Formats: sequence, C-alpha cells, structure tokens
Amino acid sequence: MHTEVPKNTKTKRPRTKKTLSLKQKEGLQGYIFISPWIIGFLCITAGPLLFSLYGSFTNYDVTSRMDFIGLSNYIKMVTNDDLFWISLGNTIYYVVISVPLTVFGAVLLAVLLNQGIPGLRIFRTIYYLPTVLSGVGVYLLWMQLLNPTTGLVNTMLSWIGIQGPAWLLDPNWTKPALIFMKFWSLGGGMLLYLASLQGVPKSLYEAAEIDGANAFKRFIHITLPMISPVIFFEFVTGIIGGFQVFQEAYVMTDNGDGGPANSLVFFNLHMWDKAFNVFDMGYAMAMSWVLFIIILILTLINLKLAPRWVHYQGGDQK
Amino acid sequence: MRFFKKSTVMLVVFLLAMGTLLAACGDSKDEASSGSKKGKTEIEFWSFWGSGTRKPVIEKIVDDFNKSQDKIHVTYKYLPFGDIWTKELASVAAGNPPDVIINDINSVQQRAQKNQSVNLAKYVKNDPDLKDQFYPQLWNTVLYKNDPYAIPFNTDTRVLFYNKDLFKEAGLDPNKPPTTWDELAADAKKLDKKSGSQYTRLGFLPRYGIGPDVWIDNATGVGEWDYKNGKPVINDPKAVQALQWIKDYEANYGSKVINTFQSQFGSEQADPFISGKLGMEMNAATFYTQIRDFGKNMDFGVAPMPEMTSGNGHTSWGGGFVAEIPKGAKHPDASYEFIKFLTSAKEQAYWASKNFDNVANIQGSKDAAKDLSGKAKEVYQLAVENLDQTLITPQPIEAPDYTSLVNPEIDKVMLGKKSPQAALDDAQKAVEKLAKSNK
Repeated sequence: MHTEVPKNTKTKRPRTKKTLSLKQKEGLQGYIFISPWIIGFLCITAGPLLFSLYGSFTNYDVTSRMDFIGLSNYIKMVTNDDLFWISLGNTIYYVVISVPLTVFGAVLLAVLLNQGIPGLRIFRTIYYLPTVLSGVGVYLLWMQLLNPTTGLVNTMLSWIGIQGPAWLLDPNWTKPALIFMKFWSLGGGMLLYLASLQGVPKSLYEAAEIDGANAFKRFIHITLPMISPVIFFEFVTGIIGGFQVFQEAYVMTDNGDGGPANSLVFFNLHMWDKAFNVFDMGYAMAMSWVLFIIILILTLINLKLAPRWVHYQGGDQK
Repeated sequence: MRFFKKSTVMLVVFLLAMGTLLAACGDSKDEASSGSKKGKTEIEFWSFWGSGTRKPVIEKIVDDFNKSQDKIHVTYKYLPFGDIWTKELASVAAGNPPDVIINDINSVQQRAQKNQSVNLAKYVKNDPDLKDQFYPQLWNTVLYKNDPYAIPFNTDTRVLFYNKDLFKEAGLDPNKPPTTWDELAADAKKLDKKSGSQYTRLGFLPRYGIGPDVWIDNATGVGEWDYKNGKPVINDPKAVQALQWIKDYEANYGSKVINTFQSQFGSEQADPFISGKLGMEMNAATFYTQIRDFGKNMDFGVAPMPEMTSGNGHTSWGGGFVAEIPKGAKHPDASYEFIKFLTSAKEQAYWASKNFDNVANIQGSKDAAKDLSGKAKEVYQLAVENLDQTLITPQPIEAPDYTSLVNPEIDKVMLGKKSPQAALDDAQKAVEKLAKSNK
C-alpha cells in the first residue's frame, strides 16, 4: 500500500483534470455540499426508516414479538378502525383550511409591511415575534386566551357584541381554534415573503405604471408571479407540516386524549396512542407509512402543478 | 481544483467528527452499565418523584435501604412524568433498562404480556404471606396469568369533601353529609346562592373533580369492563341512568351558567371548594393538603361518595403505581430485595404520612393513620376505610385503549348530541369491535 500511494496520486491527478467537465465538477461539488444531509440520512435515518417499513408488515410490539403478518395492519386500518378515519378526517380538515389561510395571511401581511410607512421595523418585529416563541408555552397561553368566559379572545368579541364560542370545549370549534392559533404565528412565512418582495425589481412596476396598470393589477401580474416560488415553497412545506400536526392536540386536550368528542384526534395523535399506550408498534408503523404515502402523493401533485403558476426568473429551470 | 480538494478535506473532517460522535454514543452505555463497586451490587431506581415534597421522602427511603445492608447499593434517578415510561420502553428494547421502576398500576398486565417486565412468581413463592400485605384489589392488578409482575406501591380514592360552615349557614346538619344521589342534589340546592341573576355559589358540580366514568363506576359497582368474563359492560342500565342523572342535574342550571362558573376555578387558593364557591366537592383524599395549606381553618367534613340509591353501594374509583423490574435488568435478585423494602409496612407508613398518600400496604396504611393527628387523621382514616369500596380499573388486555372509544361518546351525551342510551350502546359496539380485532 505504502509504495503505491504516491504513484496513484501522480497518475490520477492529471487524469481527473482532463475527464471532469465543468458540469460534472459542478455536480460533484453539489453532492459534496449536500453530503452532510446524505450522510446523516444514510447513517441515522435510513435504517429506522427501512425497519419501520418492514415493521409495518409485522405485529411488532417492541419487546415480545415481531411476526410477519402481511398486510393485516393495513387491512385492519381501513376496515376495522373507526378512529383511523376520524383522525384522517380531522387532519385533512386542519390542513385544507389552515395551510391556504396561513399562506394568504402571510402574503397579505408581507405586502402591508412592505409599504413605506414610519415605524415599519417595529411592526415587522411584532408580527414576527410569535414565531420565535416555542411550542408548549404558546399552547398553554392560548388555552387561557381561548377560555370561553374569561379568555381574552371572547372578552374582545363581547366588546363588539359577539357571543364567542366555547372554543376548545365545543367539538365544532376545537379545530377552528387551533387554526386560529396557527394563524397567529404566520410571521415565519411573512419574513420569507418580505425578503422576496424586496427582491422584485422596481423597473417592472415602473414599466407597468407607464402602461397604465393600477395597484391591484400590478399586484396580480407582477408581485404575485415574482414571489410565487416562495409561495410554492411555503405551500408544500405547510402541507407536509400540517399533516404531521400533533403537539397542539396532545398538549391542549385533557391527558392528550384528543379533545371533546374526538374532535382533535389527529392522525399522529392516534398513531402515538397506538404506539406508546397500546404498544401496537407494527400498526403505528403502518399508519406512519400511510401518512408518508399521502404526503408523497400530494407533494408530487404539487410539483406537477407548479409549472402552471410558479414563475421562476430566468425561466429555464422548469 | 483547489476548491475541490478543500471540500474533500472538509468532507473527511466531517466524517471523522461523525465517527467520534457515534463512538461517544456507544461509549456512554458501558459507563452506565451497573457493575459492582467494592463488592456491592449497584442498581438503578427510576421514578417520576422529583417535587420538593416527594423527592426528599423517596431519597430518604433509598438511603435507609442502602444503610440497612451492605450487599446492594441503589442509585435514585428522577425522570419527568412525561417521558419516563417511553424512555423505559426504549431502554428495555435496547437491553439496558433500569433495575427498578415505578410504573402505572393500570397497565401492569400489558407490560407482562408484552414481555417488558420480569415475572416475580419465583420470588413471591418464597414469601407466601406477601400478597396478604396488600389490598386485594391492588394485588389483583399486578397479576397476569396468575403470576405477579409488580408489587403495588400507592393508590388513591375519591371522597366527598363538604363545607361544614356553609352547611350550617344553609340550615343543614353539618354532621350529616349526603349519602345518596338524591340527598346530594337536595343538599346542593340548599347551598346554592345567588346575587341577582348570577350564582355566587353552587352546592355541587357532578363533573368537577371527577368525570362521568366515576359516576358510572359508582352506579354499576363494576365499571365499564367485566374483567372476569373479559368483555365490555358499557351500556349497563345503571350506567345509562348515571349519565342521565348528571345531565338532569346540569340541566337545572344550564351549560352557560356552569361554564361561566367553572371558568373562575383554579387550584389551591382558587379552588372553588377552598374559596367557598362550591359547597361540596368530590376529590382524591390528598386534596386535604390543599385545604390544610390554603383553607384558612375552614371547617369541613369528609364522607364516602354518595350511593345511587340506598343500598347500591358507595363505590369510588382510584388509580395508583407499582414497583416493577423491567425485562433485561441485570440483577433481578437485588432489584426484588429493594422492591420488598420499598413496599414494606415501615417504609410505606413513612411515605404515606409524609406525603399524605394512600399506600398499598395494609399495615403501612394503618400505621400511617396512627402517626397523624387531628383533621389529617380524620381524613386519612376515612380514605383508608374507603379503599375497601374503591374500584381500580386496569386497562383490559383485550382492549387496552377502550376509553378512547367510550369517552367521546360520553362527551356527546354531555353536549346534548346523543341520548345516554344511544351513546353507550354505540360505545359498547365500538369496544366489542376493538376487542375482537385485537384477538
């Protein structure tokens, strides 16, 4: 070995110089840049991932058994577990309303905070602040705010003559309550839109103005297309995150039981219950793969539809 | 090209760093593994008792054990309630569990079935009178296929607290607490107080301190599951009546009045019973310590939970914790020695009197009552007596998560969306289906 090393490097060096085209070199560098993620994935995530795929076809309970039972878990899920459908329904309800609402709100807020008025920085900070606050503390705070009689939300509603709902106590209002809470922390998305708004060239607006486009038209035809890549990103990650909603329901209901009349039993909460309360780990693994496939399909659809509305500057990147 | 080389170097450095990290993870296991120090067997004991009142007591017990003999040394480790058992599960799966752990009394059988805990039959065989030291309903919970897989540690029970001052004010006999549901409702009505159209005091709220399930336990005397025959008995006619009773009781006031009233409730000084907003309250006997610390010498009494009708029985409900040896523990003999010490009459009495907690050891409970005096003794004595009529409702192996199907149905009844009969019928069907799918 020792003697070969210098020989090798000598012969190799000139060769790589010749054979690696610029494109290949760029590709290689790209892989090196994402290598921490790839290595992390291969060393830490990939094993458990494959294990859970196999586990989903077994009656695995962590400690006593792991027998192959074929598709039983999947069949049981679809045909014999009412809570599976309830939890899926709750989760879809949450995603369908929460994600578009949050995207819409964040864009609107970003546009408002992109106007040239004094004190703007302070407002930006205020709206961003909720994003910095972390999970459980925020949930506990909101449980107080949403108290039907003494909470700030209903108190303020009563000022304008509205009798507020019972929020977390009324199964019809528990999910809206959570969506409302989520909406409060849209500062993260807002910041991304703001950054992207500031990158829209002024010349485009000037040209449109000369052509007689009013403010609304300028917004629709210039602003929105120019920030559409960020909207797309937020939309896709929002859906992925939305389907994984768990903490809110776990913390904000008694003993994490999923709220009044099962209204907050989300997919992941039911999965957690099966995994760690009943130890039906194989079943929980099967559930997690179903969720993975649902998210995968939705993301693929999103990617497929993206070229119709997402506008990339430069235009050749798809 | 130079850049390429640089990034390769960085990659190598990164890989090395990862390697060290992984190696570090691997090492920690060896360090933690219990070996023998100076010929002593080292064992580790996990529980979630970390509060200012409980931690010193359990540490003292551990310390006493370490001093009482020179073969075993116990190290106490506190883990938060939120993740102690998931951590234990992971450590059992990894083959490196703690030696003794405090776990939930309601799921002993599941853990036994899933091979997560050690069968104690061979130890208990040498201690034939051990099982008679504990309350039979607690001992029953630790049996799986007739073998014990844990030793009960503590428990609790729900009793009725009533405010004697308010009883006098309302013209009721302060030494005659209600004994049936009808009496309870009648006394409560007399304790209600209004200022204008607003209630400033309510006599009683059936869903404060306990849930509808405890009323069902009280009515049926067996709860929602028939353990003997391994099947759900959720739509028992008495259970339906119990829900109807709660509903009718609350309908007298309306949900708005009750919600408004309840939203002012908190704990300690803000507890409605302590602040005089509620004349009677169902709660665990340990609630006494809050009255003692925040009640400003209020005059109160305690009584068993009223019975549905005269002669139906004052059945109450409780839970508790057990000590067990996780599967794969290295020194089960030493672990068992420590558990025996932990659940012995002397240590149980110490734990009980210091924490005002119901313990599983019968002699320990009686001794603790002797150590107390005054009001504390009165409450504790009642709590101990009440254990004889306290139902423990372990999760049945056939349907461990059945309550996730029953509670939403009960919610629907309370929200007025379903009749008690229809809801409990549906719950019964759903649980039967669950039990069948688990077979």
